[in-house]
Amino acid sequence: MALLSLERVTKRFGGLTAVREVSVEVRAGDLLGIIGPNGAGKTTLFNVIAGYYRADEGRVVFDGHDITGRPAHAIAGLGLTRTFQIVKPFGNLSVLDNVMIGALTRLASTREARAEAERVIAVCGLGPHAVARARALPLGLRKRLEVARALATRPRLLLLDEVMAGLNPTELGGMIDLVRRLHADGLTLVVIEHIMAAMMRLAQRIVMLHHGEKIAEGTPREIASDRRVIDAYLGEEFVLAEA
Amino acid sequence: MARALARHWGALVVFGAAALVPIVVRDAYFLDSLVLILLWGALSAAWNVAGGYAGQVSIGHASFFGIGAYSAALLGARWQQSPWLGMLVGIALSLAAGAAIGYLSNRLKGPYFALSTIAFSQVLLIVASRWRAFTSGSEGIPVPFRPGFVTLGLGHVAWVYLALAVAVLYWGIQVWLEHSRFGYRLAGVREDEDAAQALGIPARRLKVIAVTASAALTSVCGTLWAQYVGFVDPFYVFSVDLSVRFALNTIIGGMGTALGPFLGSILITSLETYLRATLSGVKSGFTGIYLIVYGVVLILVVRFVPDGLAGVAGRLRARRARAHA
Repeated sequence: MALLSLERVTKRFGGLTAVREVSVEVRAGDLLGIIGPNGAGKTTLFNVIAGYYRADEGRVVFDGHDITGRPAHAIAGLGLTRTFQIVKPFGNLSVLDNVMIGALTRLASTREARAEAERVIAVCGLGPHAVARARALPLGLRKRLEVARALATRPRLLLLDEVMAGLNPTELGGMIDLVRRLHADGLTLVVIEHIMAAMMRLAQRIVMLHHGEKIAEGTPREIASDRRVIDAYLGEEFVLAEA
Repeated sequence: MARALARHWGALVVFGAAALVPIVVRDAYFLDSLVLILLWGALSAAWNVAGGYAGQVSIGHASFFGIGAYSAALLGARWQQSPWLGMLVGIALSLAAGAAIGYLSNRLKGPYFALSTIAFSQVLLIVASRWRAFTSGSEGIPVPFRPGFVTLGLGHVAWVYLALAVAVLYWGIQVWLEHSRFGYRLAGVREDEDAAQALGIPARRLKVIAVTASAALTSVCGTLWAQYVGFVDPFYVFSVDLSVRFALNTIIGGMGTALGPFLGSILITSLETYLRATLSGVKSGFTGIYLIVYGVVLILVVRFVPDGLAGVAGRLRARRARAHA
């Protein structure tokens, strides 16, 4: 059974249909990639799934619960959480406090939450920065903090919205390793990313959105050779480079 | 224990000194200033729960202050009831009003929220000053002085200790906010509501709780103030000046810090008392000069210690730590 299923989800803003009748299934243990040009509706889809926007039509079902239209905090409480493309750290708080607030979602005691936060911070390679103010961190580390804070809530499904954008090659490598490790540990992930090289290496399946519609779905290899994907997004150069 | 002392040495100094003063000093004028410093400090701490910890900056907290003051004064003057009962009525009314204002904070952000709180206090001012049959209108209500603890007819020394007890209680509530699960999650809501929700935090509910609690705490001090001063004037208790004072003390002392509101109150209240005493008697047009001094102090604080007075101690400690490193 699917852990998350979208059934013909549509989201409109006035006359613009940002997401049109998109159906996707995510099984437990999947690592699903979502690609598409800017404005294709990827982040809008995340906002609908995580409860930040209400779908105009269609249903979102997570782990047997119909979560369509439920508030974001309730959905996160069920174990579905997300990161933000434009990172949203608790700027005036330390890295440790940021992650602790995530850990307090499952834990009642601040002592246990602090221990949990320290563990997650170590996993995410933020150990040396635990006492730094979040807003003082460079972008690469703020992206990591975004992931760490979400992980501390112990999600069963994590939506990552462009956590690799804007990273230098070293940071990018570290982030790919982190996502791989999380997936290997059994976490189910849906990942929006523009960096195709990373996506080809990470994702088991890829969904391609274009003008709010799902125009292709398949393994990375199938996607890379799909005519519509090449025309709308990848371009001929990519196909030649990959070959 | 030793760690708690090291962390809270500032509070120990401030509240310890306040507890010792009445033993040494008998001067009524000085004790009067001390009661006001403690009450304004507690009021600013109450404001801080919403403004500092929850990030909901209100400039209408005089509403709850006035509700507390009027509840006790009316019950006492019209029905000869104990001000403690009036305090409970004030709390109940302020909880309701605070919940309404808190709910508003989910619709209106930042300056729009602040403006709506001003409007609310102005509505209450109009009601209190026009509803002559019930509130005596703009004449205000004298609070009868009946000696005894039940009627809150106390001497100066007793008032110091009562105000001190409230001040320490409010300080303790803020310290709890800094260390509890609720407080951490509230800090998350203050910093970023969307991110907080992604972590499963019911942001709206937490904001409403914080603003409602802040309103009730303010109301309690409104009651005490009315009983202490002995007169309730609608144009004072519902004034924007008063709301600004709660916010100003806290901003100067340090928003979102437990001791900050009290440090701000010490500085501003003693400055005001001193300037009023020395300048206003001169009859040379200096009556309003303390307002100018207010302004200058605020500018200096925002320019040089934007974290407030409580932030200075933290910064000195950080500098020392760096020097050792």
